[in-house]
Amino acid sequence: MYDGGIYRSNELLEMIEDVGGVVLQKTRSAQMFTVTMSIPGEDKEAMEKMCTAIGGMVRSVPLAGTEIAVVGPTLGRHHMPHPICDIAEVLRQSGAITVVMGLARGRGKATSQISMQEMDIINEYDAAVFVLGNFKSCVEAKKHLFEKIKVPVILVSGPMPDGMEDSCEAVVSGVGRKSERMRTPDERKKLEEISERVEDVLRTRKRTIEEDPLFVHPAEIKQLLEEYEPIKESLRPAPMVLHLDGLRLKVPMKENAGEISEMVVYGRKLGDIARISESRIDDSSMIIRIMTMSEVKDRDGNA
Amino acid sequence: MEIEVTGADTFGNEAYKKLFEGLMSEVGKAISLEKVNIVLDPARPLFIFTLVLRSRPESKKISDAVSLRTEGKEVHLTITDENYAPEILSALWKMYGRDNVDQQTRFDIKIENGDDEAIGETVIASGEDAKQEIIGAMWRVLPEGIKARYNISEDRTITIAATEEIMTQELKDIAFEVHNKVKGDANV
Repeated sequence: MYDGGIYRSNELLEMIEDVGGVVLQKTRSAQMFTVTMSIPGEDKEAMEKMCTAIGGMVRSVPLAGTEIAVVGPTLGRHHMPHPICDIAEVLRQSGAITVVMGLARGRGKATSQISMQEMDIINEYDAAVFVLGNFKSCVEAKKHLFEKIKVPVILVSGPMPDGMEDSCEAVVSGVGRKSERMRTPDERKKLEEISERVEDVLRTRKRTIEEDPLFVHPAEIKQLLEEYEPIKESLRPAPMVLHLDGLRLKVPMKENAGEISEMVVYGRKLGDIARISESRIDDSSMIIRIMTMSEVKDRDGNA
Repeated sequence: MEIEVTGADTFGNEAYKKLFEGLMSEVGKAISLEKVNIVLDPARPLFIFTLVLRSRPESKKISDAVSLRTEGKEVHLTITDENYAPEILSALWKMYGRDNVDQQTRFDIKIENGDDEAIGETVIASGEDAKQEIIGAMWRVLPEGIKARYNISEDRTITIAATEEIMTQELKDIAFEVHNKVKGDANV
């Protein structure tokens, strides 16, 4: 990730293109500019030189190209903003796009619930980090909140709960409810541990995807859609967000799905090699899930 | 402030102690607490928070938050505790009308034909308000899902018992027992 000023940033963008790299995310705030990019390993050194020459800094962001939901029992002041926002912040520093989500009825040991819609929304992300409280028995009793979630779940709790092996991919204990920012050295270390566990889980997920690769990499679809007028004109901060297996496009499904599914990638219509659906959050965004090679072959065989 | 936490979950005990200290400091009430007893039983679930205040919360008068002086027919007030500025202004407006209360600067107020004694004795915050603020802060410390609550407030001692479903007489009796014990220990 390049983090620096806007000065001479066009040279940086040209160089990314020249080395055959891709811009995953580009954010400009006044004179500050951050670019999350994916470039070939052999060009890393040259890219670092270029970033330093134009007065910026470059660092490796292992969670780039992912979107992660950080979920709390509710959005009430008991759970927000700490530690949920601290966790979301540390994941953003590692390159992920994060959203913070509170369940409507996630509080209470005996009364906590998760709705089907909430599960569907969480399943749109690459992974979900569930942040629960201070009592072992309460954390264990709330297992049902995430055991049916299909995407990888990382549980962050106070005490270490028992019996979570089949319900989530990783558990980080020692956090719990907090009334202030996690800023002591021990707490910063804990946040780094959470970020590392998320990286481990997503690395495993990437390996699983590589076993049956996607027909096209999400970044290539992103490049294709960059010239699409409604996305170019979108004023939302990140109109396209990369996922491990597709993208989130922040344009309405009804008006755009037809045109997008007709776009051609490697001689195939996008609609034929990806599943395009409306986001469960609202009708102003859509989800593209790219099919794997075997799925496309299977589809061709059946046609 | 002396805090005693009882409960089977060691992590929870320590975490709630920190949470309580943090939230009470945040709302500026930590200094007014002498003793705190916290009973945490998440298995039941039953949470009992008992506080002993350093002194009985008393009503706050205008003279406690301003310095007053009289010059001829004019009464001049200088606000010394800005937290009470809205209450002071609103009380003065009520007594003398907006036109007769002249707020010259952020802290200085002048009143024509005012009675400094009557102004000084006007109550701007009752002791009950202070107690309610402390109870509000205790509710913030309690787990969010533990909604069935029962308050016992007596002189300097306040107890809140909370459970998730029905607040039975048995749970209330336990709360009373803890309340009386803490009250007795503190010689209230």
